[in-house]
Amino acid sequence: MSELVETVPSVPPPSLAEPRPRVAAALADDAQLIEACRRGEARAMEVLYHQYKRRVFGMAHRIVGASDAEEVAQEVFVRIFRALERFRGDSALSTWIYRLTVNASLSHLAKRGRRHEVGDDSLGELPAPPALERDHGLAARIEAGLAQLPPGYRAILVLHDVEGLSHEECAQILECRVGTCKSQLHKARARMREILGPDIHGERGGKDRA
Amino acid sequence: MSCEDVRPRLTGYLDGELDADRGSVVRGHLRECAACRQVATDEAALRDGLRQLPHVDPPPSLWAGVQARLAEAEVADARRPAWRRALTRWLPSAPRFAAGTLVAATAVGVLWWRSQRGPDGDVATQPEPTAIATAPTTPRMSQTHVVVASDRGEPDVTADLAGEAGRVTASYGDAAEELLALAGEVRGQWTEEQRTAFDARVAELRGTIASAADGHPRQRAWRDLIRYLQNAVVRDEIAFAGGGQ
Repeated sequence: MSELVETVPSVPPPSLAEPRPRVAAALADDAQLIEACRRGEARAMEVLYHQYKRRVFGMAHRIVGASDAEEVAQEVFVRIFRALERFRGDSALSTWIYRLTVNASLSHLAKRGRRHEVGDDSLGELPAPPALERDHGLAARIEAGLAQLPPGYRAILVLHDVEGLSHEECAQILECRVGTCKSQLHKARARMREILGPDIHGERGGKDRA
Repeated sequence: MSCEDVRPRLTGYLDGELDADRGSVVRGHLRECAACRQVATDEAALRDGLRQLPHVDPPPSLWAGVQARLAEAEVADARRPAWRRALTRWLPSAPRFAAGTLVAATAVGVLWWRSQRGPDGDVATQPEPTAIATAPTTPRMSQTHVVVASDRGEPDVTADLAGEAGRVTASYGDAAEELLALAGEVRGQWTEEQRTAFDARVAELRGTIASAADGHPRQRAWRDLIRYLQNAVVRDEIAFAGGGQ
């Protein structure tokens, strides 16, 4: 029994969970930025771009893959600046931008008829140094696992677990109910566990379990 | 509580979303069930791994690409006939406008039909009211706009915008030159075979840029070159990170 008690704390209790980074910017700042962009101020547009470039590109990168991420991110920013005039502020600016990014990414995948990233064609053109074949650790395995997920699961995992958004924000972005969002996250994590298998704990963990 | 009851709640438990009672029940089950404990440990490792994924930095060419596409869109806007611009502005409210038009046309039709009825309730022998019922659903204002705008002889702003697109596209060249310089610094670490393949591919991509049509095709060709150079440079960084093996 004492052994059981000792092993349970290895599952992080909720109280020890690290605080999630919040991504929503202050509403007042957003409103000023939006107004300046609507007036066509180049500086404001650049500020908005730099404020969201990592989130937009990161989301696109993880949903459509490396080779198409730039094209999708460009499309998203063009849509943002062209549609900002019609942004009514019903949701936070960040939520709206995330929604545009997810929709553009999923539409891009649908157009291409691809379920997952199959690799950057241009990579095959340059002889690969041996270092690329090394195991880059858990992050690389997770990235590879993400690429094998259905796009919808990829989207919810990136929004909730990578970007740290709440279920309520994810539901707004994906335009679904909070309950649906939670169940999708549960299924997505379960699928990821299946894909990663013992690799989820790294080489040492895998060997221990084997 | 069985494993089947606990498993769906593990995600909420690990994320701290269960209330104290439910959390306690799940925790109690985990103390006794090794299989569920393993699932919880795996999911916690996965969740932590996802949270710790590094940021993916966008390439330097992204902003130039956005500006180029915005400029392209503005050029296209400026070249589009005035009636199409008006239609584009009108389209977002089209459903409401169409509904309003339908109601108004119906009301006019009913009034006209009633006005044509004789004292005994028969419809008088008059032309069919179809002309009114099928009133145009597009705003008449936009048609008027066409004539006015096309006859006004406004200054051609598209020339400036086209020039802007060209200037923005030129920034691709700057980004490519920077990346080429970086590649030049690290190419000493490559094999002769890699250097030959790199030079051949860069020459090929430059040829594609030269032969591509102005506008989007040429920008795509620039992006292909930039992406290739980024891969080459980043790959070399990875090689150095691994001790240059």
